[in-house]
Amino acid sequence: MHFLIDAHNGIAIYDQIARQMKFAVARGVLRSGELVPSVRELSKQLAVNPNTVARAYRDLQNDGVLNTVRGTGLEITADAKSLCQSDRESLIRERLASVLHEARQSGLSATAIKQYVNDLLQQLSQSEGDSP
Amino acid sequence: MKPVFSIRNVTKKFGKQIAVDDLSLEATPGQVIALLGDNGAGKSTSIKILLGLLRADSGDAEVLGMDSRRQSQEIRRRIGYVPDKPALYDWMTVTEIGWFASGFYPYGYMENYAEMVREFKLPETQKIKNLSRGMQAKVSLALAMAHKPELLILDEPTSGLDAVVRREFLESMVDVAAEGRTVLLASHQIHEVERVADTVAIMRQSELLTFDRLEVLKNEVRELVITHSSEETFEFPFPEKRIATRHDGRQSVHLVRDLTPSQMATLENHEQTVHLEQRTPSLEEIFVGYMSGEIRKENEKAPATEPEISA
Repeated sequence: MHFLIDAHNGIAIYDQIARQMKFAVARGVLRSGELVPSVRELSKQLAVNPNTVARAYRDLQNDGVLNTVRGTGLEITADAKSLCQSDRESLIRERLASVLHEARQSGLSATAIKQYVNDLLQQLSQSEGDSP
Repeated sequence: MKPVFSIRNVTKKFGKQIAVDDLSLEATPGQVIALLGDNGAGKSTSIKILLGLLRADSGDAEVLGMDSRRQSQEIRRRIGYVPDKPALYDWMTVTEIGWFASGFYPYGYMENYAEMVREFKLPETQKIKNLSRGMQAKVSLALAMAHKPELLILDEPTSGLDAVVRREFLESMVDVAAEGRTVLLASHQIHEVERVADTVAIMRQSELLTFDRLEVLKNEVRELVITHSSEETFEFPFPEKRIATRHDGRQSVHLVRDLTPSQMATLENHEQTVHLEQRTPSLEEIFVGYMSGEIRKENEKAPATEPEISA
């Protein structure tokens, strides 16, 4: 799978790796039973410290997304997909909440914010409709 | 765990100029330590003292249990070192310089060197002087890594090189770390450092300002933006926790470290505070804060610079 790591966006790199892997599982890019790259492979591929990748994998194991397979490495668990889908929902909720919080802080009214959200959603669905 | 290298209370002067002032640093196996600092902060001098290429005026330095003053040659055989301006015999070809260097190292050096030459896509039969700067840097890196050193020291190895070469250097460093070996990297490329380093040392004007795990640093440092009721000067009540401050009209921005919840509450409820926001700064912002903040020294009367950052 493809990762996009941005050391500057305020989210810790291990968290970015774990999130993106969860999103990939939720979308079906990674499937149950598939092996993920070794810590060494992935850290070299992303050019990040191996401990960072190890930490992301540890978190994913604790969350039940990854499982050790004796002698071979880490695989995506059987119930990873449903776990990741509900995780994705709460992550997106969290991020929306922080944007909405910022909007309220800047002094926008709830009506104005709703209008913006609707406009943006409409724009999005239009551009999706335009693409082949 | 035995340290891979240690620097204890090292001071070095060039004439009257203090280059390194009472520096102490230590590395454990597998660490990737980034040494950050502006030009002339003492990074290269510290590295050269560690390698025994320069003598400290006082204090001790040790690498792999060997004394930097007395065992410089043996240290340089055991570790890998990529200087900022590699001095290579440029009339040799890529392969020839590998053969030449292999004479100084144990058996197996040439095989590893040849493998890296292939991996870096270096032209084996070309003379060094006809290579681009990026390729020369890669030759220097391959020479420094071919004996699989327990410690790899890089002194701004990629300044002025293109993104592709910098990426290859990063990948090599990650590989070294993945094998449990140690990397000490002096660099200006802070966003790259943020990816690969687990420990950060920040030096400024010969002094070490902070030496911490990156995680700890990012957990403890916060940027506070305070909006005040008037343009009256705001005296930050916890100067010992402050790295840098900037005033901007009715707002002041403070980079603080390790502020307690009760101190935060004091700031929030301060009579001059209208609004307080906090955010997690990037390593680059932390670095800039340390570079522009006041210099604090216990046994000095007056601060050397103004505590203000010019915005």
